[in-house]
Amino acid sequence: MTETLIIEAKEDTPKIVFDPANRLFQISASSLPENAIGFYEPVIKWLNDYSVNPIDLTVFDFSFEYFNTASAKQIAKILLILENIAKEHEVVINWHYKKEDSDMLSSGSRFSKLIDLNFNFVGY
Amino acid sequence: MQSDNTDFLRFVFILFKAMQKDNLGYVYRGRFTQEITDNILALTENKLEKEEQSSKIKKRVYSILVECLQNITRHQNDIKDDLPDNNGLFVIQKHDDKYFITTGNMVMNNNIDYIKKLIETINSLEKEDLKNYYKIVLEGGSLSSKGGAGLGLIDMARKSGNKLHYHFSRVNKDSSFFYLHTIPSLEGIEGSLEHKEESLNNIINIHNTLNKENILLVSNGPFNQESLMILLGSLEGQMKGTISHKKKVFYIVVEMLQNIVKHGYTLDSSHNSVPGVFIIGENKGLYTIITGNYVDINKTKALKKKLENVNSLSMEKLDEYFNKCLFNFESDSSKKAGLGIIDLRIKSGNPLSYSFIKTAQDSVFFSLQTVITTV
Repeated sequence: MTETLIIEAKEDTPKIVFDPANRLFQISASSLPENAIGFYEPVIKWLNDYSVNPIDLTVFDFSFEYFNTASAKQIAKILLILENIAKEHEVVINWHYKKEDSDMLSSGSRFSKLIDLNFNFVGY
Repeated sequence: MQSDNTDFLRFVFILFKAMQKDNLGYVYRGRFTQEITDNILALTENKLEKEEQSSKIKKRVYSILVECLQNITRHQNDIKDDLPDNNGLFVIQKHDDKYFITTGNMVMNNNIDYIKKLIETINSLEKEDLKNYYKIVLEGGSLSSKGGAGLGLIDMARKSGNKLHYHFSRVNKDSSFFYLHTIPSLEGIEGSLEHKEESLNNIINIHNTLNKENILLVSNGPFNQESLMILLGSLEGQMKGTISHKKKVFYIVVEMLQNIVKHGYTLDSSHNSVPGVFIIGENKGLYTIITGNYVDINKTKALKKKLENVNSLSMEKLDEYFNKCLFNFESDSSKKAGLGIIDLRIKSGNPLSYSFIKTAQDSVFFSLQTVITTV
């Protein structure tokens, strides 16, 4: 099984917890780095490795406080990998958003329309 | 529908030049609440941490700052009339290793003589005499009904070690705007009076523009990811309105600031930051956000085309355009996602205004304005 990936949140980058043994796949906090590609490169690499031999049910939690458009593109990449995994395994996306943040909900629903994955929208 | 709004946005370049000329770091115009005061202090503290080595200077600037800000909050309710420019003013600048702090507030015309006399007295006293004068005023306590105005000014003069500079701009028959210019330094500054006058005049001119355009905050670059994060932190406390509206403003501010950081043009490539200006205005809950920066002249044509295109599309078409770019990984580089401008147009719900002013052989000053309608 792929090793865990944990990246602590910084002021402008999100927290990443990928821990298949405990069935945790979480991205949270804010994502507005100057170089989004650089930040997400190891994250995407990890997911590509994981996609070779994923667990039977991958429940993926996105709980962004905020993300910029450069990060949106990297999130799109992540979702495409998950879409690929979902062809042979079960994948569920939980898209968390603050109830007051209609733009965060719109971003999630945009992704759900463009990508063939099961999306749950969780307002809090 | 607007597009190239060069005449209207010309003031952005004028403001930018005026701020650059006197090295103004940060201008705030508005009501001074506790929250805003705290933010200004935090912002300045951070600036000082970055720029200033001497802890003595740091301390001195900071303590004067506190005094100046208290002075504004104490007096901002003196004027009862709901005048359009009944807003406080705060400016910080750095020149030749010296900091200049300018504050402003409205005063009643019948108080001007008293304030003038007080400042002249303070300016005429030597260090020791000033100390004694402070004691006399402290014990007498009869100078001001607010129980502090006189002391505040004496304290500023004492802490700065320099004379106080001031100016009154008449607003109407009852009131005037009072500017106070302080220079916190370790040694007294002599002989550069002319420069101080000029610097104060420049600030008065800038203030007039802010009043005219109803601008709350101007931050002069240079911009990089770090200064962007500090600015965002200070804005969070200053915004009014519902959480969803604030959040929207935040989204837009981030995209606009990162546009400067990523696409701004700088002649001096040794620094990891870009010159530019960030402006935020608020009127009855309607936010206007403007950025100004230089762009490479070879890139203006494509930028203009993109802006025209984005402004001409319907919301439905914009959505399609956004999605197309979102999954276009060919243009995937750290410099651009290609989504920023489309996102600004979608989130604000309004067409974008912009202007290009040619400034040199190879650069153009680009201003971009986003208006955010309350939802």
